[in-house]
Amino acid sequence: MAGHHSVLEDDSLLSRLDRRLLGLERVLALLSGLAVFSLMLLAVRSVGGRVTLNAPLPGYVDWIEQAMPLIAFMGIAYVQRDGGHIRMDILIGRLRGRALWLAELVSVLLMLALMVAMVWGSWAHFLRSFDFAAPLWSRDSTIDIGLPIWPAKLLAPIAFSVLCLRLLLQAWGYGRAFVTGATAPVAVPLIQDAAAQAAAEAEQLEGQD
Amino acid sequence: LEWNVSTWGKRRAFTEHLEKLAELVSEKTGGDFTLNISYGGLSKNRENLDGISIGAFEMAQFCAGYHRDKNRSLTVLELPFLGVNTLEEEVAVSNAVYAHPAVQDEMAQWNARLLMTSPMPQYNLVGTGEPRDELSEFEGMRVRATGGIGQAFEAVGAVPTSMTATEVYNAMESGVIDTAAFAQHAHLSFGTINRADWWTANLNPGTVNCPIVVNVDAYEALTDDQRAALDSSVDEAIAHYLANYGELLKRWDSVLEEKKVEKVVLSDEVLAEFRAKAADPARDQWIEEMSAQGLPAQELYDLVMSTLEQTRAGN
Amino acid sequence: MDTIEIGLWVTGGLLVLVVAGMRVAFAAGLAGLVGLVLVFWAKRDFGAEHLGWALTVAIKTAGQVPHSKVASQALSLIPTFILIGYLAYYAGLTRALFEAAKRWIAWVPGGLAVSTVFATAGFAAVSGASVATSAVFARIAIPEMLAAGYNKRFAAGVVAAGGTLASLIPPSAILVIYAIIVEQDVGKLLLAGFIPGAFSALIYGLLIVGIAMVFKSVGPPITGFTWRERLVSLPPALPIVFVVVIIICFVYNPFGGDAWGTPTEGGALGAFVVFCMALWRGMRWAELKSALLETAKLTVMIFTIIWGVLVYVRFLGFADLPGAFSDWLTGLEMSPMLILICILLAYAVLGMFMDAIGMLLLTLPVVYPAVMALNGGEFVTAADSTFGMSGTMCAIWFGILVVKMAEFCLITPPIGLNCFVVAGVRPDLSVQDVFRGVTPFFIADGVTIALLVAFPGIVLYLPRLAG
Ligand code: NA
Ligand code: NA
Repeated sequence: MAGHHSVLEDDSLLSRLDRRLLGLERVLALLSGLAVFSLMLLAVRSVGGRVTLNAPLPGYVDWIEQAMPLIAFMGIAYVQRDGGHIRMDILIGRLRGRALWLAELVSVLLMLALMVAMVWGSWAHFLRSFDFAAPLWSRDSTIDIGLPIWPAKLLAPIAFSVLCLRLLLQAWGYGRAFVTGATAPVAVPLIQDAAAQAAAEAEQLEGQD
Repeated sequence: LEWNVSTWGKRRAFTEHLEKLAELVSEKTGGDFTLNISYGGLSKNRENLDGISIGAFEMAQFCAGYHRDKNRSLTVLELPFLGVNTLEEEVAVSNAVYAHPAVQDEMAQWNARLLMTSPMPQYNLVGTGEPRDELSEFEGMRVRATGGIGQAFEAVGAVPTSMTATEVYNAMESGVIDTAAFAQHAHLSFGTINRADWWTANLNPGTVNCPIVVNVDAYEALTDDQRAALDSSVDEAIAHYLANYGELLKRWDSVLEEKKVEKVVLSDEVLAEFRAKAADPARDQWIEEMSAQGLPAQELYDLVMSTLEQTRAGN
Repeated sequence: MDTIEIGLWVTGGLLVLVVAGMRVAFAAGLAGLVGLVLVFWAKRDFGAEHLGWALTVAIKTAGQVPHSKVASQALSLIPTFILIGYLAYYAGLTRALFEAAKRWIAWVPGGLAVSTVFATAGFAAVSGASVATSAVFARIAIPEMLAAGYNKRFAAGVVAAGGTLASLIPPSAILVIYAIIVEQDVGKLLLAGFIPGAFSALIYGLLIVGIAMVFKSVGPPITGFTWRERLVSLPPALPIVFVVVIIICFVYNPFGGDAWGTPTEGGALGAFVVFCMALWRGMRWAELKSALLETAKLTVMIFTIIWGVLVYVRFLGFADLPGAFSDWLTGLEMSPMLILICILLAYAVLGMFMDAIGMLLLTLPVVYPAVMALNGGEFVTAADSTFGMSGTMCAIWFGILVVKMAEFCLITPPIGLNCFVVAGVRPDLSVQDVFRGVTPFFIADGVTIALLVAFPGIVLYLPRLAG
């Protein structure tokens, strides 16, 4: 289920790398949030321009399509850092100790394998839309006002690469916990029981009613 | 041998030549070579060239206007006001352009080989309110038209408005747009005809060009019999397409009558004025830009014009 | 192995990965990628020298999916709807709604509980997420109900159940997702959610009144508000009305005449209204920044599932599994209505263990074509159809039914997220307490779903009006 997990920190190299990467991840996620905000402004501009000046935003749809990858991809590693991507933890949540770390390690390695492939595949997708010899380096353009698509396509391999880094750190974290048999390893999201998880979700809304 | 064919939407007039081709090829090879047509399951319509380039499927349909930068040379066929009036003329100019080496080279970059066209009628306007048959009446008109056709209307003072095809009905109902430029079958399937007061019968502002391509490697791997079966079926498939579309155009006339939609016929003077203001600058700009990129733009344009003349002379 | 066989094996593998606890988005993506490799390799008869080719083609095919599927105007509604919800907190809309509902309707038996249900329904009109709605109302409504002498478990159950309204009443992220998967008009689906959402609220309300009349101890009516007090409570809740009016009017104008624009614009303008309200109520950059970050997190989570599952769906397209499943289902010697009911029951069981969005994304690519085939195909007319509605209308009707099922699953044990959240907010309540308190609402939901199945008109009235 949607998880709010806690990530422990200490002075180890792993934890320091974790926090360094978190900084980058947070910036990317905020970019994605700002892109959502810009969607709102685009609509206001488009409707407002149409109603007042008979001048709708040229290429409104094209601009939305360009903004969507920014919104959809940039926060992917930030969410994984806290273990926020949805899963069913009904089984894995019952494991303890080494068995749990092994299961998490396998799961993270499978994700890493997928994401390495996706970096390759989405990079190839970007390359097909990119041509150094063409004007604006463009070999693929939007349907209405012909914006080059390659910058939007490039966002996928970038965001996925950051996720790969995050998964590498988590694999290291789980792997180390498996070897040492630690009970509370750093730099990996720890499963909380359902009640603690709900309390965390509630806390997040604190003071806003 | 089974080939996967990627198109989109549902089976309709626009895909009838594919269906016919599949039928003929299977017949001629005794079921040894079949085409499995997929309506959107294999790729998004704007990524069909990518799929061909990868080799994910062997045959695909796409429209040049979806991504002008992917197929610059083909866009000569989408220039506004080329003067193409019938589907037969559209087939003739498409075939001529597809045979040009510059076009074939560009497609080869996508590992694609042009097989045939999907002739589309001109994107005439369906509109609400008073019919517009003078150039001055296009001033301030909000029109849903993308790409070159949109720019052509902009040149005469109209306001092109951006939205996806599925939103057009809604936008027309809401007064977000006054007019929409589509081929007849799209006016029917997106429902714009139900909101219409008038339709321009002879404005003929331009259309999109939608080729069928095959993956080069797959094509070359065919046995002689298979290749012969495929190549020899193209003309028949196109003939079937034209006959089928002809039926649809007949129905279009009766729909216009039934919905009491006025057929607007623009005078020759207005059309000439329109071309001078919208088409000529667009053509000059296209030739200049494409030439700068090393394409034989003037040659392609002249090819379209000469083919058009020959076709008319032949009739 | 033919492609259908590959399809079944890969789908089985996907279920194993999901149950074993791999994150759903990535399990689906991995299954899709492996499936694509197998499908392409099968084309070359699994020759060892062709594995590299199959791998490359599969990876490049899968690599197209994230950008090509996500860069869509229709999907832009999801982040906008999520942003509206977060901004609404900062605009203080929740408290204002509850206060207004209390002053206007708490005079009925079980008054505060009924007010809570209708306030959640109102908040649903700015919030696309059920869990958040329950969390907020647990803090506002439960203390007041307890102070008025309500049974603790019952109060918790009301809030947990009320939260589920957020996904039916637009804006609703989950309805947008359904519309994308099945390629139907988003505007019509959102419109279709209104009446069933309001209808669910009404059934909840009636149930509460009934319970309060039988068990006097449950909760007394609250009276004594003057008309002046009632009128004063309305202005702070006004932005909700704005948002509702904007969204409805941008899809279909009920006042007669033209609609105002497109749903995409409507959602974004609704967010803008709430944003202005939040600014006016004192929101500054710090709060805006956390609203944006939270929006980004939830959005990226949803989009990751979307593209992950769509990689799997792309594989299904090559394997042609949905076609095979729908052939099988339509070939069954059972009445189509019975098959439909079985499908809904299967969702109830699946939903006990799965998250709503993940469940819909994983199942719909296969189940939806089968349901459409049961009705007689995507383009069938009402006259020729099994369920007495055209293909488009059937898509809308089935969408509302599955979304209602998915919402039902948020309050059923063992994994009912809404109940966990309510228990989390209230330290004095255990999860078991909430599950016990919410039990009466199973009956209400059962009745609602049965009525929606029996009388599709409840769902289809508005979409039909919109043409
Ligand atoms: Na909602
Ligand atoms: Na559940």
